[in-house]
Amino acid sequence: MDATKMAAVGLSASYGRGPAITDINLEFGPNSATAIIGPSGCGKSTFIRCLNRMHETAPRATVTGKVFLDGEDIYEQDPTAVRRRIGMVFQRPNPFATMTIFDNVAAALRFNGRHSREETDKIVYESLQAAALWEEVKDHLFAGATSLSGGQQQRLCIARALAAQPEVLLMDEPCSALDPISTAKVEDLIFTLKRTYTVIIVTHNMQQAARVADRTAFFYLGKLIEVNDTKEIFERPKEKLTEGYVSGRFG
Amino acid sequence: MPIVAERKAFSAGLDELNENMATLAELAKLSIRKAVATLETRPEAIASDGRDVFALDQEIYALKQQVVKGCVDLIALHAPVAKDLRLITTSLEISTDLDRIGRYSRDIVEISNLLGEEARSPTAANVDLVRLGNLAIDIVDRALTAFAARDAEAVADIVRRDDPIDDLHDKVFREIIERMTDHSISPRAGAEFVLINRYFERLADHAVNIGLHVTYMVTGVRPRVKAEGAKGPFGDPS
Repeated sequence: MDATKMAAVGLSASYGRGPAITDINLEFGPNSATAIIGPSGCGKSTFIRCLNRMHETAPRATVTGKVFLDGEDIYEQDPTAVRRRIGMVFQRPNPFATMTIFDNVAAALRFNGRHSREETDKIVYESLQAAALWEEVKDHLFAGATSLSGGQQQRLCIARALAAQPEVLLMDEPCSALDPISTAKVEDLIFTLKRTYTVIIVTHNMQQAARVADRTAFFYLGKLIEVNDTKEIFERPKEKLTEGYVSGRFG
Repeated sequence: MPIVAERKAFSAGLDELNENMATLAELAKLSIRKAVATLETRPEAIASDGRDVFALDQEIYALKQQVVKGCVDLIALHAPVAKDLRLITTSLEISTDLDRIGRYSRDIVEISNLLGEEARSPTAANVDLVRLGNLAIDIVDRALTAFAARDAEAVADIVRRDDPIDDLHDKVFREIIERMTDHSISPRAGAEFVLINRYFERLADHAVNIGLHVTYMVTGVRPRVKAEGAKGPFGDPS
């Protein structure tokens, strides 16, 4: 990897009892997608929640170590400002149920300072375009967000995240609640988004990691076991544990 | 503790693939042995060996088709990765090498039948052809032993053994031309000997291919055969 956009250094976290992740050192390049894989409970969701300071919002949560964004430790910055630069998309689509499609995307702007009507229209349009949703919703932008299918709702949440104009996009199993066609659309979207953003995606789906990620990191029992180019991880993993996991023999 | 999955359907498919590949390898070995025998043994034995080689060629082709279908099914149904994927893709490639070995053996027997006793006349060219055939048997045996044993190191020895085979091929070629020029063998026999000579050299090349495939299957690294004039059996891995 030539350049680093974001880096975890000696990152450990817990929920008050034993450690959830231990001493993670992992770098993410600009304009690339990195998949985080590993069995349930291995700490991959905890890890990405540490990357935008969401983990510390859980009761009794602790974080030690550093997370650098463009060379500066995000744990020495205002958490709200950090979250504006690092967007997040969750497992289940979570649009604001009482808002329209338009307002769901525009809502991201309201937390981001004042924008003129023209600016808001422009950013909503660009975000829906970037989330590959514009063509499907352009004729009913003021319908309720819950009128959309699950796959469309997930892309609406991605559009909402993009409207805040983040630099990094975290995705926590973004396709696990979607059907295959919706999954394919979101994967196509990730493939496009990684040209502009640093995308970090947690997935249980091995083939999804193989399809969308440039690099893949394998976590097990809260530790980073192996990270490498995705094709290396799936063709010739160095660690036996990785081999066993990616070939579906344990997890 | 991790939850361990046997992946029973997938494992059964891999077991079947391994069994078919082992059988394919045995059939290919038998085929080349019997083909070489038709150049040196008595007519009645030759007739029997020749018939066997034709039957083996058909059997090898049918089993190769079964291997290809099995590999496609495993890829489509089980999305294999890592060493499983390497086993499957390597089996696809080696099955093609084995199919070619079966086909060359058949071609040799066809020529042997065509030439009759002339194919077994004790000319220097013929004697060296048999020697070349035995070297081809040996190198194919070694490659298939490496495949069975998943021996990634054997390829270095296999590549080394291919060089004298290439040299002998060149020497036999020159001898055949000389015999044709001095009329000690007919132009027709000479032309057919040239073909057999070429088939043996190609059989050895398939053995080298198999050795290289085995190395990739075991290590995940594709070795490269040396460039012309380079020292050592390999260039840098790709």
